[in-house]
Amino acid sequence: MSLSKALAVIAVVVLGPYDIQLHNTPRTPNAHGAARLVFAESPFGVAVTADGHASYDVQLTVSGLPEPATLGAYKAYVAWGVTTDLKQWRRLGTVANGSSTVGRVEYNKFMLVIAAESDSAVVKHAGPVVLSGTSPSSFLQMFLAHPMFRGVAP
Amino acid sequence: MKRGWRNALVVALVVAAPNAAPAQKKPPAKKPDPMAGMPGMAHDTTKPSSKKPAVKPASNPASSTMAGMPGMKGDSMAMGMPIPMPKGMPMIPGLVGLTPQVSSFLPGAGVDPTKVAPVKPTQTVRLKDGDTLDLTAGLVRRTIRGKPFVMYAFNGMVPGPLIRVAQQATITVRFHNKIDLPSTVHWHGLRLDNRFDGVPGLTQQEVAPGADFTYTVHFPDAGVYWYHPHVREDIEQAMGLFGNMIVDSPEPDYYSPVNRELSLVLNDLLINADSLIPFGKESATYALMGRVGNILTVNGEPNYKLTARKGEVVRFFFTNVSSSRTYNLSLGGVPMKVVASDESRFEREERVPSVVLAPAERYVVEARFEKPGRYALVNAIQAINHYEGEFAPEVDTLGVVTVGDVPASPDYGSRFAALRAYPEVSRDVDRFRQYFDKEPDEHLTLTVKPNSLPLATVQFMNVDTAYYAPVEWVDGMPDMNWLSTSKQVKWILREDATGKENMDIDWHVKQGSVVKLRIFNDPKSFHPMQHPIHLHGQRMLVVARDGVKTRNLVWKDTAIIPVGSSVDLLIDASNPGAWMLHCHIAEHLQSDMMAVLHVDPAGGGSH
Repeated sequence: MSLSKALAVIAVVVLGPYDIQLHNTPRTPNAHGAARLVFAESPFGVAVTADGHASYDVQLTVSGLPEPATLGAYKAYVAWGVTTDLKQWRRLGTVANGSSTVGRVEYNKFMLVIAAESDSAVVKHAGPVVLSGTSPSSFLQMFLAHPMFRGVAP
Repeated sequence: MKRGWRNALVVALVVAAPNAAPAQKKPPAKKPDPMAGMPGMAHDTTKPSSKKPAVKPASNPASSTMAGMPGMKGDSMAMGMPIPMPKGMPMIPGLVGLTPQVSSFLPGAGVDPTKVAPVKPTQTVRLKDGDTLDLTAGLVRRTIRGKPFVMYAFNGMVPGPLIRVAQQATITVRFHNKIDLPSTVHWHGLRLDNRFDGVPGLTQQEVAPGADFTYTVHFPDAGVYWYHPHVREDIEQAMGLFGNMIVDSPEPDYYSPVNRELSLVLNDLLINADSLIPFGKESATYALMGRVGNILTVNGEPNYKLTARKGEVVRFFFTNVSSSRTYNLSLGGVPMKVVASDESRFEREERVPSVVLAPAERYVVEARFEKPGRYALVNAIQAINHYEGEFAPEVDTLGVVTVGDVPASPDYGSRFAALRAYPEVSRDVDRFRQYFDKEPDEHLTLTVKPNSLPLATVQFMNVDTAYYAPVEWVDGMPDMNWLSTSKQVKWILREDATGKENMDIDWHVKQGSVVKLRIFNDPKSFHPMQHPIHLHGQRMLVVARDGVKTRNLVWKDTAIIPVGSSVDLLIDASNPGAWMLHCHIAEHLQSDMMAVLHVDPAGGGSH
C-alpha cells in the first residue's frame, strides 16, 4: 500500500472529536455502547475549566447489559471517567440499557469505563468492567506512535 | 526512542515520498522600501487629507492585493528569519529552509522608528448624537519589551479612541487613511446603514493611502462593540488598528452599580527575539491556523497593571481583537460573573471560573477584588504538543491587579453577590422562541482545501489528524502554519443545498424574516479547526449547539464553531443590505472564508 493510500485509510477510520466507541469484555459479550461528549452548558459556548480543560457532559447509549446480579454480587452499573494512567477515577453516574446523560469529565485524555458495582452509590471503583472506551483525545499520539509509522520502524 | 532517530525517520519519509513539491527558495533579498515621499508617510498623522478615494473596487470584498499600491514595491524584511517554535518542539525536518511563497511586509518599511511619533494612551471620546470624529489611521512607534517597532494606530493610540455614545445616537466619522495600505473601517456588531459597513467591494471601495471616507455610524443597541479595518486585517488589525465603542443604555439600572468600568482589549504580537515576524505582502501567511502571537497584550501593552481597592467591583469590557487566538481568562480565583456579550445582556448573570473569548467576541464581566493582594490576569489553556502527542498546560500572564488595604467606597459587595436576571432580554427573545425548533433555512459546512502546500506539510497534517481538538488554543505547528499562504489554502463556507462556496453562495432573505442557520464544522477536512463566525449588520441567537438547546440566551454577532460541532444560529434579519458572513480569523478571511447574506428590503425588491 502506498503511503498516501495508507494515510487515506487512517483518515477514514478516525471518529469525530466527540465520539467514543465502547468495547465489551468476555463477561458481557452482548453488551454494546457508545458515548458522545457534549460541551457542558456555558455562556461561552465552549466550556472549559479555569486551567483550560474541556468540560464535557457524557451522553451514553448502551444495550445488551445483563442484570448486574448475573455477574456476581453486583446491583448496578456505574460509569467512570478514568485518566489514562488509571490513577484518577471520577464517578459519572449509574448506567442502564438505553440513553442517558451521566456526569462530567474534565480530563485531557481519559477512558470511559462502565463497571458492575456492589451498590449504585459507590464512590470507589471495585467491580468488573463490562464496557470501556478511550476518549478521542487519546488518539493524539506521538508522531511515530502512529500506526503509519509502526510498519516502518525497526 | 531518541528524538534524533525520529527526526531521521521523518526526513526519510518525507524525502522518499513521490511527487514532492519543489522546495520554495527564499526570495532574493531586496532593499527596504523607504516609502519616502509616499502618500500617508508624513509624520504628522493627525491632519486630514483632502485627497479623494481611489476608484478601484477590490475583486475580493475582504482582501486586497497590494500590488501596484504606493510603497508596495519592496520587501521590508527577508522572510528567512527564524520563527518562534513552542518549547521542546523542533521544526519539522522536511520544512527546514523553506519560506512562504510571498515577499514580506511590515508597516512603514524603511522608516526609522525613532522618527515616528510614539504611541499615545487611549483616550475616551464621549460623543453626542450628531457629533463628528476625525479618525486617522497612521504609523506609530510602539515599544514592546524595550524594543521599538513601527506599527499602526488610530489617532496615534492603541487601542484607538474609546468611543462612548448613548444608545440611538448617530455620529459622523471622517476616516483618513495615512498608512501604507488601502483600508476601510468596519463597525463591528453595529446594525447600521449598509453603506457604512466598511467592506471593500461590497459596501464601499477601498480607501487608498492618503484618501478619506466619511461614515455615518448609528448605535441602535447598548453594548460593547469595536471598529477595525476590513482590508488585510491580518496586517492592519494585528498591527494596531482597532478600538472599542461602548454604547450606553438610557436605563440607569441597565448594569449593576460598580466602582469602575474598564475596557480591556486583547491582542497578541508575533515577535522573534527583537523583530516582528513579517507579514506576507501578496497574500497572508499563517493561512492554516491564523497568526498566533507569542506576546499577549492588554490595551496594547504586554504587562497590564491595575490597582484596585479592597472590595472594589470592576466591570470589564473584554474584546478579543487577535487574529486567531481564543483566550481563556481568569483572575487568580477572583470571583467573576458574566453579564453581557456582543449585542445584549444575557437573560441572567452567571458566575464563571474563566472567560472564553474567540476572536472578535466581547464579554462584559464583573469581578470583585475582595482581599488585598496581587492577582494575575492569566490566559490558561491546554495546548497540544503535536510532535509528542501530548497536552501541555500553558499559562500566560497578561497583567497583574494589585489590591490595596483601603476599602472601596461605596461597597457594592451585596449587589455583586446577587445574580440578576434581565426579564427585558427574555421578553425581547420571546418573540423569536417560536422559531427555535424550526428546520434550518440554510445549512453551511465549514471545510478547507489545500493547494500546493509543501509535501511535508501535507504528510504531517495527515499523520497528525487522528485527533482534532475542538478548539486549538495555540499554534502547535508554527512552521507548517507560517509556510502556508492564503493562495495555498482555501477556507470554505459551503452551502449544503447547492454545493456553492463562499462568495458564490446566492443567499437572499426578506427583511423582517427570522432565519435559522445551521453551521457544521467538518472534522474530517484536511485541517479542521474552530471558526469564530461573524455576521455583519444583524443580530443573532445561538439557540443550540450539537442539539443541546441554549438556556441562557444573549444576542451575538460572532459565535465560535468548534471542530465537529453543529451550531444553530437564529438571525433577526432586520437590517436591509448585503452583509458579510465570515470567519473572523484574519488569515481565514484572507483565504476566502466569507459569504454574503442579502437582506432584501421589506415590501419588494431583490438583489
